[in-house]
This record gives sequence, structure tokens and C-alpha cells, in this order.
Amino acid sequence: MSSDIPDRYGRTELVLMVMDPLHLFAYWEVTPESLREAQDALGAEMDGARAVVRFYDISLIHFDGANAHHTFDIDVGLEARGWYVPVWTADKSYCADLGFVARTGRFHAITRSNVIHTPRASVSGNTAERWMRVKFVRRRKPDRARPLEYVPAPELPRRLSPDEWRALRERLAREKALADARFAAGGMPSSPEKGF
Amino acid sequence: MRVQPAGYLCLVLHCHLPYVRHPEHDRFLEENWLYEAISDTYIPLLRVMDGLVRDGVDFRLTTTLSPPLISMLRDPLLISRYERHINRLIELASKEVHRTAYQPELHRLATMYLERFLQTRNAFTNEYGHDLVGAFGRLQELGKLEIITCGATHGFLPLLNVVPSAVRAQLRTAVAHYEETFGRPPHGIWLPECGYFPGLDEVLRDVGIQFFFTESHGLLYAEPRPRYGVHAPVFCPTGIAAFARDLESSKQVWSAEEGYPGDPAYRDYYRDIGWDLDYDYIRPYIQPDGKRGSTGIKYCRITGRTDQKQVYDRAWAMERAADHAGNFVFNRGRQVEWLGPTMDRPPIVVAPYDAELFGHWWFEGPEWIDFLFRKLHFDQQVVEPITPAEYLERHEINQVCTPCGSSWGHKGYHEVWLNGGNDWIYRHLHAAARRMEELTHRFAKADGLTQRALAQAGRELLLAQSSDWAFIMKTGTMVEYAVKRTKDHVARFTRLYEQLLAGRVDAGWLKDIEEKDNIFPSLDHRNFS
Repeated sequence: MSSDIPDRYGRTELVLMVMDPLHLFAYWEVTPESLREAQDALGAEMDGARAVVRFYDISLIHFDGANAHHTFDIDVGLEARGWYVPVWTADKSYCADLGFVARTGRFHAITRSNVIHTPRASVSGNTAERWMRVKFVRRRKPDRARPLEYVPAPELPRRLSPDEWRALRERLAREKALADARFAAGGMPSSPEKGF
Repeated sequence: MRVQPAGYLCLVLHCHLPYVRHPEHDRFLEENWLYEAISDTYIPLLRVMDGLVRDGVDFRLTTTLSPPLISMLRDPLLISRYERHINRLIELASKEVHRTAYQPELHRLATMYLERFLQTRNAFTNEYGHDLVGAFGRLQELGKLEIITCGATHGFLPLLNVVPSAVRAQLRTAVAHYEETFGRPPHGIWLPECGYFPGLDEVLRDVGIQFFFTESHGLLYAEPRPRYGVHAPVFCPTGIAAFARDLESSKQVWSAEEGYPGDPAYRDYYRDIGWDLDYDYIRPYIQPDGKRGSTGIKYCRITGRTDQKQVYDRAWAMERAADHAGNFVFNRGRQVEWLGPTMDRPPIVVAPYDAELFGHWWFEGPEWIDFLFRKLHFDQQVVEPITPAEYLERHEINQVCTPCGSSWGHKGYHEVWLNGGNDWIYRHLHAAARRMEELTHRFAKADGLTQRALAQAGRELLLAQSSDWAFIMKTGTMVEYAVKRTKDHVARFTRLYEQLLAGRVDAGWLKDIEEKDNIFPSLDHRNFS
């Protein structure tokens, strides 16, 4: 039996995927029926219309079709199986419409995509802490419905003074330099007692 | 009363191979991955651990045994083929001992290999009774080893999540398979390629998993910022714990330039007699198609980019391994002493590696691990080896953060599995996952031939979803094989789907692919809902 995989799946869809915080990937399929519908809807405006994927930045909102923070179009070749799209900022949510933009500017959407979220690419500036206590369960599954217990953030045992910090850093730097030298010479202290 | 250490070391070895089993061929090249891993990595690691137990050395290791790997290690056909493989190696090593009779340095090494292969065969057959999975299980029962699960076929979950039921199926199947294998649910999981996306913890909670691992920036970029960076786990909002890789300890082992494995004392992986010796002599021991390849017998040590190769000196390499283990212990001690004053509990250093680094790529790796645990046990009390389960039992209070979507692949996100070389697969994987979900709803109750066809459809889908295929397509060796596997499984799934919808399952063809793609014999198709 040959490895015949379908060339088409017979349903119009646009799918967005995340490649990294600043790059998306889109693939689509457009059935002949959807294309005919688009042609009927646009009529004469179909002449000179461009196929685009219209992206909506919908971070942190409930998208009602008109309230995106930001919108941008990417011109695509409809026959292309997929398209890579660069974006500007990490940690955002997007969806998109595949459709035609007529010369008049009128947009006819063929289909809407799923929603995707790009990951963070940097340390969070949010330092507000929450802490939980969770009992680990051995050899059986924890109760799915177990309530989660929030607890106060733990205090640090003791704050080191700047002098103590400096002394600690210097001691560790000295030890590391000593160890590196011994290591490079081919021998290693494997326990602290061997003379620092 | 135990003295609290200054810090913890959580060493994690990820043992995984894609499901490669070709009963239709007498010898199949890609099956060698399994045989080499058994000889080079799994048996040496088991023997190291058994030695530690015998010598009263307390240690803790966390290891993934992926479902495909477990399945292959227990498959009677592959077990018998492994025996054939090791017998062939013993034969080759015997010939080498004879051939090098007047070359003392090489002769010493040839003898070393012969003894080693004989020990390996003896361990496989007599000590472990052909059951390596059972051997790992016994070490877990002794409390030294924590075996964690992985995705059912190592699917890269962030990219499968376009159809969320695909993620549920990978995890439900993995957990069920673990329970069947080890008699209890898994405590934790190694996410395939550390591929995490926010919200995945909800699916983990639903299948009863309590902890997972991420790449370093999975915690460093978490929201809100973790107070302790990667040196303590965090709880996701669902209470599932996330542990992140420590970069400093990783570099010491992983780095091709700076890491231990590049040391000139160590064996060079690439100078194998399969490439160097007379063709007619070596022909029976290399690839079935006659192309030269690795045999496992290598005589050179690492000498960098020069053709002047030096002979491997085992005694020197062992000294080096001991040195490097001591160096690692020492550095972890200084690392945790440096971190400790700023934390309310001992810092944890999470050091995960692909298991095949130890023994296969880095020949002396298992001995390094042996020295490491002995030095940790006998020579110091600053750093204590620990499993994630033990950590979570001792430290029930942890910060709540949402880890950052991430992976441990090149560039830290999804590019390795989504790029110009492999992006074509996803329309097929997503369509198949959606169709499988449709089948579970259409055939809520099924028996006989229908039920078998549904289960097989699930198997084909899972096998198509292996992230290994996309990875191979990106990295460029064996690409044809990876493409063929993807297409074969998608094609078989599609045909089963169409036959089920038409109510006409071809029983003869079904039996044929059940025998070929026989992973997860008791797969429940309802996992895909």
C-alpha cells in the first residue's frame, strides 16, 4: 500500500501556530465552494482583489470582531500551503482572518483562525508573589478536586549586610580560582578538607 | 536525624527512542539505535546503579523511560534481535583480539571490548533476564530511582495543541501505559523536549501528574517572576510543580567545547573500525545495505581536528572521569553555598541530560556518574542527591507562577519542530487528531472489528505524532526515513478513518498493520476524546 496522504481535507480553515515569541506560522485550505462564495460576495470588486491574512492582536481582551488592539495584513499567495509571519512584541494573543481585500479596501473574510498566544521572551517585571502549600501524594493520584491552600510568603532567614555579601563573594571566588588551577594541572580536590 | 544539606542535586536522565520496529525486514538499520543504546547506555547505567546499591552508596537519580522505549525493551522480536546484535559484536571483538595480537596497545583495547561485550550479554541474559524495564523498576522499589513518564509517543505538545484532544491522548495513554508497567501512577513527567505551554498543567492535573520539567527560561521568564529563579520549583496555578534546568551545571557536561566529554583523555566516538578497517573484513558487522558505519569498537582518544589519531588509554580516561566527577561535586557545592543565604530552603540544582550522552556519545559517562554518586556519598555533606518527589515532600510551600512557554530545543521555543523542512506535517497531524476525536464521538460504544480498528487508528495517530520525525527532518540525517514514517502512519490512519465511516473495515489489512504498528496493545480509543 502506498503512502497516500490526502492533498486536501475538503474543509476551509485557517490555522495559526507559534514558532517563537516573534514569529507565527499560518497554514490554510480553501475549498472551491468558499472561493465561489467570496467571488459572489465581492462581485465586480473581485477584480484586482488581493488574498490576505488579516491578523488581530487580541491580547487580554474578549474579541468581538471589532475591538482588536491592532490589526495588520499579510499578502499571501492563496495556493501557498503555509506562511511565516514576523511580529513585533512577545507575549501577545492573536487570531486571524483569511480573505480578500478589494481595490476599494473592502475586506471579505473567508474563514477565521484559532487563537494563539506567543510566549514571553524576557524576565517578568511583575514581582508580586503568591505562595501555596500542596501535599505531595505518593503512589496514587491526588484528588483532582483537592482545594488549593494559599499561604503567606516565607521570610528570608536573614538578610546579609553588604560587607557579608562581599566577603562571601570573595571567598567563593578564591576557592573557585584555586580549584580551577588544580583542575587545569590535572588533579582535583574532591573534599573540602584537602586544604583551602 | 538528617543534617539538612546546603543544597540538592537532581540529576535527570531522559531515556527515549522513537518506536522503530520492522518485522518485515530481517535487519533494519534504524533498529540499531535501540541496540546501541542498550549496550552503550542502559545496561552500563543499570550496572552502575546495582553496584552503588551493593556497596551501600546512597544515591538518587530521576530517569524518564518513554513509553515507546519501554515498549521496545519488552518486545520479543527486538529482544531476540538485540541478542543477535550483541553476539555479532562479540564475534567481531574476538576477531579483533586475534587481529591485533602483535599490536599491544590495540590488543589491550580489543580485549577490553571483548570482555565488555561478554559482560553486557551476561547482564542482559542472566542478571536482567532480558527485562531491563524490570531492572529499572526494582531500583525504583528500592527508593533510589524515580522513574517518570513522557508523552505517549514523545509528541511535541505545544504544536499538537491546535487540537487539544491530541495533547490529552498523548498524556492519558502515557499514564495508563506507566500504570500497566510499574503498578502505580507516575508522579512526574518529562515533557517531550520540555515543550511546555501555559495551561498544560491543567491537563497534567487531570491525569494525576504532580511535577514536570522546563528549560531554564521556562522559570526565569515565568509570570510573576520567581523569587528563586531556577533554584526552586514553582507551583502552576493548579498546584502542579515545575522544575527548571540549571544552566551552570548543564554547560559543564553538555558543552562540546567546554564540557567534560571533549577532554582529550576520552574516547573519540567518530574513529570507529567500521570506517577504518578493510571492507571485506568489516562487511558482516556494519550496515545491512553495505554502507560503512559505526560498529561500537573504537580505538582512538579525542585529538581534535587532526588526522594524527592517538590510541585510547583506558586507565587515563578513568582517572579523568574521577577528576571530572570530583570537579562537578565541588562546583555544585560552591554553587549552592553561594545561593543558600538568599533562600529559605536549600537550593536545588536540576541537571537533566539525554541518557544516551552517557555511554554512547561520552563513552566514560556511566563511570562519571558512578564516581559522582560515590563522591557525593563519601566525600562531602554539602550537596545531597534528591528526586523531585522527595523535594516536594520536604518543601510543601512553593511560589505560584505560570511558567513561560518554552522548550529545550535550539533557540528555546518551537523552531526545531516548525520550520521550512517539516511544517508540512501539521495540517495532516491536526486533521487526523480532529478526525480521531470525531471517531470517538461517533463510535461511543464499539466492539469487535470496529473497536480494533478504532484502537489501531489511535496507534497510527500517536506514531505519526512522534516529535522525532520532525526533529530528524530538521537535523538532516535519515530524513527519508522520518518522512516515510510520517506519511505511512497518516496514510494508514486516513484509510482506517474512511473505512470506519463507510462501515467496511478490511479485516485482513487491519491484522497486518496491527502486527506492524503494535505499540500500546491495550490502547483505549476513548483516550482521544
